[in-house]
Amino acid sequence: MTPAGLERLRIQAPVLSISAGAWILVAMEATGMALPAFCSTGALWTAPSASLDLVLALNPPGSLAAGWALMLAAMMAPLLIVPVRHIRDRCLPRGRARVVALFVAGYATSWMVAGAMLLALAIAMRLAVPRAWLPLSAAALPALVWQISPAKQICLNRCHLQPELAAFGLAADVDALHFGLTHGIWCVGSCWALMLLPLLVPHGHVATMAAVALWLFSERLERPTSPRWIWRGPGKAIRIVAARAGMRPRHR
Amino acid sequence: MQYIREDVWELGNDWAAPILWYARGVAAMKSRALAVPTSWRFYGAIHGIDRPLWKALGYLSAADPLPRSADVKRFWQQCQHGSWYFLPWHRGYLLAFEANIRDAVIKLGGPKDWALPYWNYFKPNQFKLPPAFASPNWPDGKGNNPLFVPQRYGPNSDGKVYVPVDQINLDAMSDPDFTGVSSGGSPGFGGIDTGFEHGGSTHGGIETQPHDWVHGLVGGENPKPPHLPGLMSDPDTAGLDPIFWLHHANIDRLWQVWRQNPLTDIDPTDANWLKGPGSVGERIFSMPMPGNVPWNYTPADMVDLAKLGYSYDDLSPATAGLIASLRLERLGASAAAANVTEGAPAMASGKNVELVGANRKALPISGDQVSTSVQLDAGMRNKVSASLAAAATSGTPDRVFLNLENVRGLSDATAFHVYVALPEGANPANYPDRLAGSIALFGVRKASLADGEHAGKGLTFVLEITKIVDALHLGNAFDVNTLDVRIVPTKPVPKRAKITIGRVSIFRQGG
Repeated sequence: MTPAGLERLRIQAPVLSISAGAWILVAMEATGMALPAFCSTGALWTAPSASLDLVLALNPPGSLAAGWALMLAAMMAPLLIVPVRHIRDRCLPRGRARVVALFVAGYATSWMVAGAMLLALAIAMRLAVPRAWLPLSAAALPALVWQISPAKQICLNRCHLQPELAAFGLAADVDALHFGLTHGIWCVGSCWALMLLPLLVPHGHVATMAAVALWLFSERLERPTSPRWIWRGPGKAIRIVAARAGMRPRHR
Repeated sequence: MQYIREDVWELGNDWAAPILWYARGVAAMKSRALAVPTSWRFYGAIHGIDRPLWKALGYLSAADPLPRSADVKRFWQQCQHGSWYFLPWHRGYLLAFEANIRDAVIKLGGPKDWALPYWNYFKPNQFKLPPAFASPNWPDGKGNNPLFVPQRYGPNSDGKVYVPVDQINLDAMSDPDFTGVSSGGSPGFGGIDTGFEHGGSTHGGIETQPHDWVHGLVGGENPKPPHLPGLMSDPDTAGLDPIFWLHHANIDRLWQVWRQNPLTDIDPTDANWLKGPGSVGERIFSMPMPGNVPWNYTPADMVDLAKLGYSYDDLSPATAGLIASLRLERLGASAAAANVTEGAPAMASGKNVELVGANRKALPISGDQVSTSVQLDAGMRNKVSASLAAAATSGTPDRVFLNLENVRGLSDATAFHVYVALPEGANPANYPDRLAGSIALFGVRKASLADGEHAGKGLTFVLEITKIVDALHLGNAFDVNTLDVRIVPTKPVPKRAKITIGRVSIFRQGG
């Protein structure tokens, strides 16, 4: 393995382990092997329709927040391999754990705020349109438009930014937190529409989460490019899998 | 058929047969329309193209029919920079270009064994642009010499084109590893492990020096507004200048010299390098050959120059920058030095790369020089000192690297020298031993675009300052809280160039 490959592995191993652990908890909850607080975002559909009080009673905010956080850990951790490596590489060795934690805290803050809005939207849609598949259908169209929009590309591009970071003292902590917050904001911008979909499926919540997570991860493999209206799919990921399977490489 | 690439300055005369035939071949390629894959401009676009810049420089007009979109997708914007594919991709690019020129030469009645000359600016009195490239006329005095381009401004942007030999070096030749790391330590001789990388952020050793430097200083910048770059200065126009190919033949020759040195390491044996980016689902390396036939290649196809039918007339060893035994001797580790193979280059890189210190805020570069203070972490500085002090027992003291991170700006023709620990008010010219290296910002404009492939993070340069730190340590001058870093541009940098260094940092690499 190359020296750079070893450095990548040093970050990939723990980050992917965290993601795998979160997925196990999500799966356990889905099969009734864990406390319902885990990933309760999938339980929005367990409540009878047309009653906000009842929805909130069955899914208290704390439970929803915990579920959302677990969902983030499972789905988003793999997306953080590159920025975490950047922040770890560019700080003093004795401060690595602290700045990585601050970066993750900033990133999580952005997504928790976004999660509150997305969950509120999902609940509102659930109450307004009680029929099982209608909310999902209603969310699919804006998700599709966002997917092909230049705005989505701008967000994706910003997710690849690796800024300069202060090395010492409070400035280092502030930079790490700021990097996490801004990275999180651009990540929300890139992913929000797709992240809404698992919240709205009446059945197959975990499977939808997995599909969306794979989609988001493969999007991040693509290089930044000029913003324009264009279809964005998991093309590169498919090519990588095909190449690994020994299929003939293509030109792009 | 065996092809021998020869030194352009040792062909016998300014317009010796290989150069004259090269000019005729270039003229033939230039006569073809852009849409033809074997045309001159198409080959330039394989390296890179920025359509507004090409239009501004007069290389693209609205009347030009563009190539088929399949050809554009397959061939254009392919050059590999900031990547371990830098050397093998450019070797294939040279071979394909040369085959097209040779095809034209043969059709014109020229020699079947024609080969591209190289420009070895390191040799005494060979630093000037070869005369056949500097004249607008053919040898009979008639104009339209295809080797001449007006957009070549030189190191002072005054039209005098040469390579300042005191500003280039072969330090990279002493790097024992082909590939390295992007985390602040050595990026290796050939660059870091990447996928298909059309302009990566961290340049490898031989790419930084002399490759980038020669590009930036030969091309220069038009002194007249709007200060367009010389063709060689920008990756998106470099392939349009006929001297580009002789420069890259020299870089390719240096790779061969490095490979033939039994004391340096060998090319990567990793499957991802050998099989190229196509093996992991990315673009493949592909060139249009005579008859517009595509030729696909991988780095594995490029490693054996003799098998490819090529050799150079001079592969004599280059001067190594950092000799392991001499370093250990200097550090008082004579016994350890005796165990090192004579002439062996710098000791292998350690696995641990750690930040030792950094400056506090972004550094704008303008005017004739700027300085910044790199604050050192006491613990890490002591770790480096301890490693140097223990050289006698370990035999592997730390290597130390200065990083210029997130370098952004608008002018690829910017170049500067970087000095470390100069006394206050000292004239840098009097302290060549404190010169960390010289940087040319080849590719910086594109790397600074927020919606470009770099996402606006700019370029990062890594300069080995082991020798300087060794000297400071031996002079008891390393036990300090800060080290001054002075940036001395080759010519004053205007504010409009908007050059900034995001962070200046120092890393150790060792056990």
